[in-house]
Amino acid sequence: MEALVHNLKLSWFSIKRAPLPYALTLLILSLGLGTFFSNATLYYWMNRDPIPEKSATLFMARINSVPGDCTDCFEPPRVMSYMDMQKMSGSGITSAEAAMFSSDAYAKTVENQQATPSQVELRITQRDFFKLFNVPFLHGETWPDNKARMEVVISKNTALKFFSRTDVVGQEMLIDDKLYTVIGVLDDWAMLPRLYDVNGRRSAEPAEDIYIPLETAYDLAIQSNTQNSYFDVDWDGNMATYPQMARTNFANQLQFWVQLDSPEKVQQYQQFLKNLVADEKAAGRHERPEANKLDNILDVQKAMRATNDQLDAFALVASLFLLVCVVNASHLSLNRYMANQYEFSLRRALGASRWQLQGQILADVLLSSALAFAAALLFAQLGLWTINSLLPSTRALASWDWQMLSVMALVVLVISYLVTLYPALKTSFSPLNQQLKQ
Amino acid sequence: MIKINNLSKIFRTDLIETHALRQINLQVNEGEFAALTGPSGSGKSTLLNVLGTLESFDQGDYLLDGRSVKGLSDRELSALRNEKIGFIFQGFNLIKDFSLFDNIELPLRYRGFSSAERKRRVEQALETVGLAARRDYHPSQLSGGQQQRVAIARAIAGEPRILLADEPTGNLDSLMARQVMELLEKINQQGCTILMVTHDPDQARRANRHIQIVDGQLNDATMYEPLAAGA
Amino acid sequence: MSVHLIIKSLLRRKVVTALLLLQLAVTLGLVVNSLLLASAAKELVEQPTGLALEQILTVRVKPTSAAMRVEPALSEVISRQLAAIRQIPGVEAAEYTNQIPLRQGGSNSNIFETDRQDESNVDSAPYYNTGSQIFKVLGTKLVAGRELTELDKGTQNLVLTEKLAKQLFLEQNPVGKSTNQGTVVGVVSDFYSQRYTSDPLFAAINFVPMARAEMGYQLMVRVAPGQSEAVRQQLTDVIRNAEPEMDISTVMRMDENRDEVFRSEIGLATLLAVLSGLMLLVAMISAYSHAHFHALQMQKEVGIKRALGASKARVLLDVLSESWLTTAIGAGFGILVCYALNISLAKVISIPAVPVWLPLLTVVLLLLCVTLATWYPARIATRISPATATKTL
Repeated sequence: MEALVHNLKLSWFSIKRAPLPYALTLLILSLGLGTFFSNATLYYWMNRDPIPEKSATLFMARINSVPGDCTDCFEPPRVMSYMDMQKMSGSGITSAEAAMFSSDAYAKTVENQQATPSQVELRITQRDFFKLFNVPFLHGETWPDNKARMEVVISKNTALKFFSRTDVVGQEMLIDDKLYTVIGVLDDWAMLPRLYDVNGRRSAEPAEDIYIPLETAYDLAIQSNTQNSYFDVDWDGNMATYPQMARTNFANQLQFWVQLDSPEKVQQYQQFLKNLVADEKAAGRHERPEANKLDNILDVQKAMRATNDQLDAFALVASLFLLVCVVNASHLSLNRYMANQYEFSLRRALGASRWQLQGQILADVLLSSALAFAAALLFAQLGLWTINSLLPSTRALASWDWQMLSVMALVVLVISYLVTLYPALKTSFSPLNQQLKQ
Repeated sequence: MIKINNLSKIFRTDLIETHALRQINLQVNEGEFAALTGPSGSGKSTLLNVLGTLESFDQGDYLLDGRSVKGLSDRELSALRNEKIGFIFQGFNLIKDFSLFDNIELPLRYRGFSSAERKRRVEQALETVGLAARRDYHPSQLSGGQQQRVAIARAIAGEPRILLADEPTGNLDSLMARQVMELLEKINQQGCTILMVTHDPDQARRANRHIQIVDGQLNDATMYEPLAAGA
Repeated sequence: MSVHLIIKSLLRRKVVTALLLLQLAVTLGLVVNSLLLASAAKELVEQPTGLALEQILTVRVKPTSAAMRVEPALSEVISRQLAAIRQIPGVEAAEYTNQIPLRQGGSNSNIFETDRQDESNVDSAPYYNTGSQIFKVLGTKLVAGRELTELDKGTQNLVLTEKLAKQLFLEQNPVGKSTNQGTVVGVVSDFYSQRYTSDPLFAAINFVPMARAEMGYQLMVRVAPGQSEAVRQQLTDVIRNAEPEMDISTVMRMDENRDEVFRSEIGLATLLAVLSGLMLLVAMISAYSHAHFHALQMQKEVGIKRALGASKARVLLDVLSESWLTTAIGAGFGILVCYALNISLAKVISIPAVPVWLPLLTVVLLLLCVTLATWYPARIATRISPATATKTL
């Protein structure tokens, strides 16, 4: 321990002798590390498994049911119709299933009717949504069934925003001038990346504020604010006929998610879909070729072509930049050690063994790592701010937890060691007399 | 061949003025082997540097091979140095990254000789110093004596008018020192003028002229015959 | 100094040289590809949209009371708003529409020629439910048939963009043809509609009352050249005065909408430009630091050469040519890295191929940077008197 402190002191003196070159080396290294870390942070959040305890069992189902005979159309649309949802439900194979889409509206409380309503994000879905994605309830519970009800589940922040407390089960709200009762309040929850709705490249969005039953939305003509695709729809725009029209036409806006608890269940459900399509074709519908898709939640970004290409490109470039910086830093580090060679050789001549000199080098590495880590974090934070302002869709992704910080620290340590390794080996292992004569 | 008139050199810093050379008069003729001795701080290295045009001077004049060096531009001075003067340093001053061949060839490149001419001269110089077999070695692979012989080869390859040697044997043991001195004598016998700074009186006696310098002033002390070679 | 000699001495210091070359090569490859992406993004952003971007303002509005979001109240409100907007000095035309052009996504529908669905179906083309001044607002030109008028309101008469008409009807005259969305009465010049539909230049225009406003609706305003700021400042208040119970979003100019559509590309391009700058900076810092460290050795070597008769200019040239040669060799490898990186990036993102002149330009840039960085230490070395430099300690 005492030896370590002694060595650290020596490292510090060595730096003070020539501070500028050392600072420049450190600057280059932390620039590369900082850029790499800021990108790695975003990459991690965008590509991690947000629900590892059950991600293997969650799937998004789609069938290629849109009308029109197109023999080489093998890609089902991104969103499904109400009729598709009905046909894909009720198989008995899934342990949970829910259709869903997002929307927005204006809400206010009954007491505060005169106030300007606030915009809220809606998720229109069915009762199994919360079971599917392990969404925790703070108070109350989900709807007892999937019928149309004027009942909503709200997030914790929504409860606090409108009622200033969380225990609001039974309270009433006006959403777009319609009256609803709160039957459940969720605990703090977000899925990042938001894989249950990646359409429109929105996988970095926060969780919604209010959840409304699907049937209610269809009855009240609440529509998706992400994607509405009409196929062969003949409708005059009359609101009175919307509920009927939307349920019996290819007015597509839904995603349909299922939970299949074992590989056998997955196979069974795939067979179920196959049979379903066969029946449809026999009845003269589903003219397009069968192209059922059962995408696992971890594949859904790729399937919907919602991967963040920009981030991937930047990842490649940032990695190479790190390489450039490491190489630069090694180069400068080599110079520095060669300049200090005399001192090393002298100490060897005075009796220090090669391994004792390694101890000195380790102290150098520790000191450099500590300084580089601090600087790298600073640059990484700057990098994240820059990226967030240039690519706003990444805003929710910029934070570090303890796990990430320790991994980053380890990376800095390893790289500092690598940068120092070759020069240090060279200087402590080359022949003594040569060095001293210089 | 070298004529100095009333030459003075003053080193100035903010606080101190050092008169390194005081109104020196000196003439060295062709074919002479002159030794320059003196206590440390006496100005012998400074005189050698001025003679080699490595340092400027403040007063007086210096005629090298009949031509005054005063007022020459850097380019003219460099060309003069390249053609007429050969240097041998105490610390050898070879370029570590170059092979022996490349080291000796370097000044010849500045002269503008053709590639064939350079090759001829380098090989001849290596022969003269006895290192022809090691032309592709690097300085770090040689002993001190060998390195100095390379430096000598480098100095003579251009057939300079005068060789300036600053304590050429200072870093060598007695055996190597003797070898180097014999080489210098051989070169001198072939007609090259040599001016050598040394603090070894024995070496000084081997020269055929002995100049002493004390406190920036000269004292021409050769009044006796050099001892026989090998003594 | 001869190239031969420089290479020999570089080979003596293999590791340092390898590091130097590696960093030069990768820097060159990165800088070139970053510049390529930046320019590709710029091109994407500046592509012709068929719209006068600085003369069109858009604002999304939504009635706060549910009663006003249905007919007949809705049309009444919209008329009042449009009448008020059209009064503003500088406004040439104004109209309501269900969605604006130049967006990423929105409302779209499939469209095909009646009785020819299998051959002519287009999966998604944006549809615009709007009114009579829309053509003036958009600034489109009539290509065939006629534009829609008030008389067409509530009918199923359509106007298509030229590209969509060609896709549906190929070389035939589109006017009078029947589609699942209605009968074509005219074709107008193309404009950029939605990025993620079958084709950004597809659009179908129809005159219908707004009918419902659960999602709000858009008001589009065409202004005289140079008047956009003046009108923008008044617009929100004018709309609110026409009807107070409105949620009014930020007024956007069409070029701002366009920037939103391509925000990701612009963002990436900017990021890469910043990174390129950083790389050049790192290269310069490295070259300077390297020269700084080698200053002592350089001084000695410079002193020896001067003693041997090299002029100051000659020696300075020697030092710089070593930098230049190393940079040039690194750049040679760099050009390989350029192409390799370009191919890798092309797998992930759309990036143009490397034109011949760009790497060469970057090499010149690199040489300049390295020269700049090495100049100062080199100059100092030549200034020192050879006597000092060759002195034995």
